[in-house]
Amino acid sequence: MEVFIAQFINGLSLGSIYVLLVTGFNLLLLVAMIIHFSFPVTVVFSMYISWAVLNVTGNNLILGSLAGILSAIILNIATAPMFQHIMKKRGHVDINATMVISMGIGMIITDVLSHGFNHGFPIAFPDNLTGSSKGAMLNVGLISISRGQVITLVVGVVVVAGLFYLLYRTRAGRAFRAIAEDPNGARLVGLPILKTGIQSYALTGILGGMTAVLLSILLGSASPGLGDQMAHKVLAVSIIAGLGNLQGGLVIGLLLGVLEAMVQGYLSGSWSNAIAFVVMLIVILVKPKGVFGMKLG
Amino acid sequence: MEQKTDMRILQVQGLEVSYGHIQALKGLDLEIMKGEIVVLVGANGAGKTTLMETILGVNKVGKGDILYKGKSILGKPADKNVRDGMFLVPEGRGVFAWMTVKDNLLLGAHHNIRQADEKMKAVFESFPVLSERRDQVAKTLSGGERQMLAIARALMSSPELIMIDEPSIGLAPIIVNDIFEIIVNLNRQGYSILLSEQNVYKALKCAHRGYVLETGNLVLSGTAEELLNNPGIREAYLGA
Repeated sequence: MEVFIAQFINGLSLGSIYVLLVTGFNLLLLVAMIIHFSFPVTVVFSMYISWAVLNVTGNNLILGSLAGILSAIILNIATAPMFQHIMKKRGHVDINATMVISMGIGMIITDVLSHGFNHGFPIAFPDNLTGSSKGAMLNVGLISISRGQVITLVVGVVVVAGLFYLLYRTRAGRAFRAIAEDPNGARLVGLPILKTGIQSYALTGILGGMTAVLLSILLGSASPGLGDQMAHKVLAVSIIAGLGNLQGGLVIGLLLGVLEAMVQGYLSGSWSNAIAFVVMLIVILVKPKGVFGMKLG
Repeated sequence: MEQKTDMRILQVQGLEVSYGHIQALKGLDLEIMKGEIVVLVGANGAGKTTLMETILGVNKVGKGDILYKGKSILGKPADKNVRDGMFLVPEGRGVFAWMTVKDNLLLGAHHNIRQADEKMKAVFESFPVLSERRDQVAKTLSGGERQMLAIARALMSSPELIMIDEPSIGLAPIIVNDIFEIIVNLNRQGYSILLSEQNVYKALKCAHRGYVLETGNLVLSGTAEELLNNPGIREAYLGA
């Protein structure tokens, strides 16, 4: 039972990371109308920037975190014109073209991380960020929960709640949803399409940056290949939940985190990816349009 | 119906619009006075929707000019024109099916959000059906209710010129009467209206003036009464 509880909490922490990544991916899909397959790779890039700044500033957590978040926003907005060039020309979602751009961005970033940082070796985040030197924060019987897990879970929940509040209760969120549902109709009621598109890049940048910081705390390390691994999972989660389905992504993202944690708790940890994908394979065979249905106009 | 001021809210001069090689509008002239209902008559493909969307700022203008409240609005994007008091109720209503009635209304007030609460109160008073269904998604509304929602959404933006594209399409005759009554009432409250309709008789009955479009050309214009009595119109559109 103790293992179960510990791994459940662990799974929710990991799951909230997936939820953040899937929500960012879905927002770009719905509002900016691109398939940004490599969005998680840009998040790992921000982890590296954050790590580099931590190194230079003598592990200044505030500067390190800010650098991670800022770099994600800048990277997202900087890549926007490329995507929007295609959007303007085609006038509708061209999945093939935007996916190629996204993959290209992902490959370049992965190469830069392999060659430009730490000679391509995995990077480790300092203890004052991950909290591992102080050991577990909570110890109840066999259950030990690290500070990193608690922070990830709490911040993850707050960020996801804040994001859903923004989407469903604010003027900007309403515009996001309207464009997601019917871009042409949104233009006819006078919503600024390009401006709102840029806002969605900025918002996913903020989201990506915060995810980068949380991932650094939770994992304590990163490698150039981490982004691709995450990208595959995020794409799988969003398709299984139903492409563009924000609430579905929330549920499936958390479930995947818990599933992986349970496999790690009861079986060998190295099998968690394979088992997660077997389960997802079965789900997608049963529900080809996603468990909660696609929400693409 | 008769009161007409001399102020022109909209002037379209020699307007040409093309989609690729196909010329959709071939040099149109049109004007709307403040407080008028002007009806666009014409078959499918005559260019009514293109004209309205071009006025709104969605299409690229090839030649000619559009003056709104006396100033050229060429190249001005739709969101700026909406901010300045223009609103289009699109063909097929254009409501967001997966959003609630309330959210749909608030979208109309996107550029006018400070007055949204006050406007919504007024809209709910005029359209009690929408008030009852305010938290339902628009998908659950009937065709007539959706048309009401689309018109109510226009009112949320504090418009001066409302363009309504084919409001009666797909609606039962009784409901069509309701919608025309709503449009006439709006006009009495002072809104200027450009109306496109295939239900030519009903539209001309409530309009001040009309323009007849055929494949991108203006073929006839006049007061509603003149058009109703025109033999060509009677034959082509009124089946008489």
